[in-house]
Amino acid sequence: MKLSKEQIERLYRFTREHFVEWYDLQTELVDHLANAIESKWNENPNLSFEETLQSEFKKFGVFGFMDVVEKRQIALNQKYNKLVWKHFKEFFALPKILLSFGFVAVLFFVMKQVPDPEIFFSVVFVSFVAVALTQIIKHIRYQNRKTKPDEKRWLFLEVIRSYGNLSLFFVIPIQLFTRITNSSNFFQNTVLMLVVSAFIVAYSLAIYIIMYVIPSKAENYLHETYPEYRLENV
Amino acid sequence: MKNPSLYKGSLNTIIMKLLEENGRMYGYEITQKVKLITQGELNITEGALYPALHKLEADGLLDVDVQKVDNRLRKYYKLTEKGTTETVNLLAELEDFIRNMQTLVKPNLEFKL
Repeated sequence: MKLSKEQIERLYRFTREHFVEWYDLQTELVDHLANAIESKWNENPNLSFEETLQSEFKKFGVFGFMDVVEKRQIALNQKYNKLVWKHFKEFFALPKILLSFGFVAVLFFVMKQVPDPEIFFSVVFVSFVAVALTQIIKHIRYQNRKTKPDEKRWLFLEVIRSYGNLSLFFVIPIQLFTRITNSSNFFQNTVLMLVVSAFIVAYSLAIYIIMYVIPSKAENYLHETYPEYRLENV
Repeated sequence: MKNPSLYKGSLNTIIMKLLEENGRMYGYEITQKVKLITQGELNITEGALYPALHKLEADGLLDVDVQKVDNRLRKYYKLTEKGTTETVNLLAELEDFIRNMQTLVKPNLEFKL
């Protein structure tokens, strides 16, 4: 005996009621529950759908689907970090490495020219914060948007749109800014200046990848991660 | 299953070995296959299987495919090239482990043979 379309819909609702908000995970759990119920029905066709569903759900343990959801988030965050790292490495391989070194050199020479280090780093710092703020506002708007009850949410898309760990945007520039302005002989130390230039370039590249490169390719990554995304969006 | 924690560390190896033998499989199928092979002795719990599958997928060891079956979508897993190589290593490690455990638990076994 097979499950009807209505029963499958009920299973989707069931996963939503148990805090599985993402369609990709819902689909996998719905198929699992459906298989388990069908196999129970093969043994005893008189069992009711709801009762069998509840007894199969119990097998997931006291936390229900929470553990599966949590681990899935961790796995997709790891996948995301690897993706960021892959793009980042591209900037340090030919041909993009020439561009990266170009940026470092330009920054280094600009730094050598500026008369006041505090003004220079204030500009750098303010621009980092400005970029971070606009992205945080965009992110909050995205999080607060009205979602339709039957909207399909994709976990990896939400990971991409969370832009990694947002707090980093603030913490690193603040650290850099305070350290450098506190060191009086910074502009006499060529090596230190080079290191800081390289760091600022690397940091900017990471932000550029997280905020622009990966989100602009989100559609491709969803296709890659979810074969069902294609099936749903034809 | 009497002591699930003994099997815990080998879950990935079990999954990958099954995929190596069967090509592609879906979650429920894996739980049933394990039950069948071990005659009900080993029961992989749902709460452990899916996190393991998702981790292996994120590590690039498994690839996924989705197909419409009956009224629903089914997600299949299969080994990637990297996954196939890793399976060989994991199996070798597991065999070493079993051999060591045997020597520890039954030190006289080798002499008897």
